[in-house]
Amino acid sequence: MALTSFDVLAHGVDDKTRNFLENNSGVHILPFIYIGAKHMVTGYDHLLFLVGVLFFIRRAKEVLIYVTMFTVGHCITLMSGVLADIQVNAYLIDAIIGFSVIYKGFDNLGGFKRIFGVQPDPKKAVLIFGLFHGFGLATKIQEFGLPSDGLVPNLIAFNVGVELGQVLALIFILLAINIWRRHPSFMRFSDWTNTALMSGGIMLVGMQLTGYFIN
Amino acid sequence: MEQHQSTISLVKASLLASVVAIITLVLFILPAEYNIDPTGVGQKLGLTVFNEEASDSAGLTSKAGKASSGEQESVIVTVPAGRGVEYKLAMQQYQKVAYEWMTDNGALYVDLHGEPQGDTTGYFESYTIATSDSMKGSFTAPFSGSHGWYWKNTSDQDIQVQLIFSGDYVIEGLK
Repeated sequence: MALTSFDVLAHGVDDKTRNFLENNSGVHILPFIYIGAKHMVTGYDHLLFLVGVLFFIRRAKEVLIYVTMFTVGHCITLMSGVLADIQVNAYLIDAIIGFSVIYKGFDNLGGFKRIFGVQPDPKKAVLIFGLFHGFGLATKIQEFGLPSDGLVPNLIAFNVGVELGQVLALIFILLAINIWRRHPSFMRFSDWTNTALMSGGIMLVGMQLTGYFIN
Repeated sequence: MEQHQSTISLVKASLLASVVAIITLVLFILPAEYNIDPTGVGQKLGLTVFNEEASDSAGLTSKAGKASSGEQESVIVTVPAGRGVEYKLAMQQYQKVAYEWMTDNGALYVDLHGEPQGDTTGYFESYTIATSDSMKGSFTAPFSGSHGWYWKNTSDQDIQVQLIFSGDYVIEGLK
């Protein structure tokens, strides 16, 4: 049944994007910024992780540090992954991204301090998961089968798009969390929210691992 | 991260998260994503429909998996308004197919292309790219893999394509 297995990842691109990639070569800054931003804004796994990271962060400076760590992490692996042509199985990477959501939910519930007696450095954790998220993006952009013509500028444009998408998503997430934080229900439901976050992460891991094993 | 909850409630939260996740996975996500439906709930709710859509909704006489017998094949493929569909043949390297297709109503964007077997990067090679209401020709597969037509309908009406082909292949059918 080898015939049915190899087309699975080949067209993980919607019609319009495919048309664009198919009919163009050379440098296209704005379209690649757009694709990058779209991937970030529509990537619910990344967004869930960001919700987890930002849940208990209040001060603008802290937000900036965490976001920078995440950005540095995924820039490194996104760029080097594509340029060095490193192929990582998309299902496994997405499973790790799902795991990062579980991790953050558990961390927000105070799980590490409670069970293991130690609090892992949340900044380092964000950096490390940023690295994995970057690999996920690298794998996705490699699925596009980009022509080498204009690859580097297009890649940088894609990366810029990812950052713009992230900033856009961050604004909405921060606004929502900050508005909610003023209400007493925030603390009352914070455990519920982070439990739900963990649950969502487990669903992502289960879905991706199943995909990995049946394909 | 200052939480005032006991270890017991933490364990409870983790268990609850796992149970909800597993139930959701088994009942809804796996049936919809992969057609894995041990409980049958996905089928009842119609969630497995995503996995049947490819072969049924486009009005194709399904012959997927059938090997060529040297005879001519003829299929009707419906390309829905504003959408693209693919019809693919599995071919070994250097095998040849002759084909002819025509639409019932106007021109389609077409990309005749092949994807190497086992490739997961999304690489494909286009042999013909055009916008036309009919086409006739032949091609020899430069590599083993999946070869065939991508039609895109940019109009606001469904368009039917009659595709006739013969040669060496195994039909993969509509994608």
